[in-house]
Amino acid sequence: MAISGRVPLLVLLGLVPVVLRPEISTVWLWLAVVALVVAVDLALAPSPAGLAFSRRPVGAVRLGEGTRTELVVRNEGRRSVRGRVRDAWQPSAGADVDGPHANRHPLRLAPGDGARLTTALLPVRRGDLRTAGVSVRLGGPLGAAYRQRTVDVPGSVRALPAFDSRKHLPSRLARLRELDGRSAVRIRGQGTEFDSLREYVRGDDVRSIDWRASARTRKVVVRTWQPERDRRVVIVLDTSRTSAGRVRGVPRLDSSMDAALLLAALASRAGDRIDFLAGDRGVRRRVRAAGSAQVVHTLSEAMTDLDAVIAEADWRALAGATQELGRRRALVVLLTSLESAVVEESLLPVLPTLTHHHRVVVAAVRDPALDELAADRSDLAAVYAAAAAEQVAARRRATADLLEALGVDVLDTDAERLAPALADHYLSLKARGLL
Amino acid sequence: MSALTTAPPSHRADDAGSVGGSGSGSLGPGFWRRRRALLLLALALVVVVVGAVLLGSGGPERGGRLDPDNPTPTGGQAVARVLADQGVDVTVVRSAAALEDADVDDGTTVLVSDPLLLGERTAESLMDDRGGARLVVADPEFAVTDLLGLDVQGTRESGLDDVAADCSGAGSTLGDDLDGLEISVDRAFVFPELDGCFAVDGAPTIAETDDEVLLLGADDLLTNDQVLRADNAAVALRLLGGTERLVWYVPDPADLADDEGVGLGAFAPDAVVPALWLTVAAVVALMWWRGRRFGRLVVEPLPVSVRAVEATESRGRLYRRTGDRFHAADALRRASRRRIAVHLGLPRHDVDPVALVHDVAARTGRPVAYVGSLLDPRGPLPTDDAALVTFAHLLTDLEKEVRRA
Repeated sequence: MAISGRVPLLVLLGLVPVVLRPEISTVWLWLAVVALVVAVDLALAPSPAGLAFSRRPVGAVRLGEGTRTELVVRNEGRRSVRGRVRDAWQPSAGADVDGPHANRHPLRLAPGDGARLTTALLPVRRGDLRTAGVSVRLGGPLGAAYRQRTVDVPGSVRALPAFDSRKHLPSRLARLRELDGRSAVRIRGQGTEFDSLREYVRGDDVRSIDWRASARTRKVVVRTWQPERDRRVVIVLDTSRTSAGRVRGVPRLDSSMDAALLLAALASRAGDRIDFLAGDRGVRRRVRAAGSAQVVHTLSEAMTDLDAVIAEADWRALAGATQELGRRRALVVLLTSLESAVVEESLLPVLPTLTHHHRVVVAAVRDPALDELAADRSDLAAVYAAAAAEQVAARRRATADLLEALGVDVLDTDAERLAPALADHYLSLKARGLL
Repeated sequence: MSALTTAPPSHRADDAGSVGGSGSGSLGPGFWRRRRALLLLALALVVVVVGAVLLGSGGPERGGRLDPDNPTPTGGQAVARVLADQGVDVTVVRSAAALEDADVDDGTTVLVSDPLLLGERTAESLMDDRGGARLVVADPEFAVTDLLGLDVQGTRESGLDDVAADCSGAGSTLGDDLDGLEISVDRAFVFPELDGCFAVDGAPTIAETDDEVLLLGADDLLTNDQVLRADNAAVALRLLGGTERLVWYVPDPADLADDEGVGLGAFAPDAVVPALWLTVAAVVALMWWRGRRFGRLVVEPLPVSVRAVEATESRGRLYRRTGDRFHAADALRRASRRRIAVHLGLPRHDVDPVALVHDVAARTGRPVAYVGSLLDPRGPLPTDDAALVTFAHLLTDLEKEVRRA
């Protein structure tokens, strides 16, 4: 039960009888009267058990975009009800986007009636964000007391990764088309595939004229190439301890996801097949051969409830899983961090196997705070911190050099540059036919 | 009231991380330096409070009218001192219990200097059980005589100048030794119904009751500022110094029995207390109304996240705590060497330090020895903290010079 604001006022109204009959017993009598009023009102209030709730699935939404949830309530009792309903969600679901009490709705239903209560949601965190129960308060005829009850009406909103790097996609797709044979500009390379013959147009490279074919017709004919298609791209997302670190307030994991989504979107348009792995001690997610236009959505769904865990990455297991995906040569992108200890202990032993079969790219988020720390030499503490930062940066560089010596491409950039840098690297590999 | 009281998820761990960072930094000597002002303020506050308590607890109030320790114009210190000097054993008593312990007998005079504060029980014991001692009551207004069970009422007179003794009708308590003296006081009570001395229009200012209680209506003559007027001093000495011992009783309100005091409640309307209770009940109802939660509190499962640079910062603090200057300076020197080599287009790895030093010296115009002391791996390393900071600054400056050159 709960009482309304009228009860304290009613108690205060007792000042009148107290002034008229200034005795302590007057106070007790008045409080008894108030208690009686509350009890009667509570007894007359309809039971919240007579209400039936249901909720439609909310579905998925990209992080940063709003949605709404509809709670359907039916009065199955024989009395009309009056009260309030609170549709509680976990705080990061953003049910309070329209104000602190935007998820509380007034309710007034005749017997057999129903109502739709809509609450706006604006998720502020990636993952599955759940409801926390629906609370109902139904008031008695005097408006002094309420019956209160909380029922579980399950529901969740799935907040997909934000994919902020979407904005880089159009320019990269344009570059991809430039690689394509349809475009006037072509790149000749070792790995480009013969596509077709077509008539020469101005601007075509004269070296691509197929003289033999031209001799058979009256027009000048050129050979066109198209970039390699149906290559494999394996994206391995490291969800271990090191990806929990925040760089400029954003976890490394989220930056890596962003880069993975952009690469997947680009590679699927280029006709490649995408496999996705995520894991730390073991494999936590596995998406196979997502090659359709749905790839971004599929990967988003797979990544959405991934969080970094406090554990070291077991690269032996992850590399094994990568090999299981298929023995055909692939572009393997490891989205991890360049922490020398982890790399040396776990990644280095398995790298030769990977580089032997595949082309391996390691993409890591660099922390600009490290450079700032190294540049600040204002006082003694800062100098010591700068020395530590230089030390860490040097080891990081040494690790990157070591990886490059093993034939791995290393991308070590700021968080916001990671996704476009990875996409550009993919395009350059494709242009050179190195996939 | 809102159920959404859990923390918003974003950046919370970030905050926690920075808090933890400054927390471990506070262990150093900087902790006290940073908080010195606050510490001094707290110390001053403690001194003031302790001083005030010590000064304040120097004893109970001594400022009452006719108090034997009160040197102000209304006090009675002069008379008490002079009596003591004249060989009278003056005992100052400040509580009912002490009065009982004072062993009054017929060689004693008991002076009650502020009888308005007398409790009923003390007054009774003074009247019935004083072992033959003389009782002198100052300031005997009606409330006092009533309390003492005397059926007399004094009236107030003011501006009494040179009133002659004239103790014709007085009894045994007031002797002949007051004859020929005159008193001058600003105000006094006179008792027309009683016999006594220093009468104004037949009403004595020092009156004697049937119970041999002396009502000192002209008690102003005991005060410090009026004791020197006329023969006031002589009258005071003869009234109070007639016996070997004088018990000077200053009643204490703390002696009042529970039911003897008068509380504030007696002046308030009858409805105040019930109304207060009703208000308390209303506040309780208010708290219930506002405090009842509309559904349960919702928790947010927060993910693990730390600032990535945190580990590096703590490594720096570790260097500092262990005083690992050589290591720190070497790391800085190595980094500078690499950056300069990259800037000059030399190979990043295995660059010859000697060649680099000469190159840098040639570009910046600095002496080779100076550049070598900064960049050469065999150069001297700083030995104390100040030198380390200077070393770091010199390296930064050298890098800037190379870039400018």
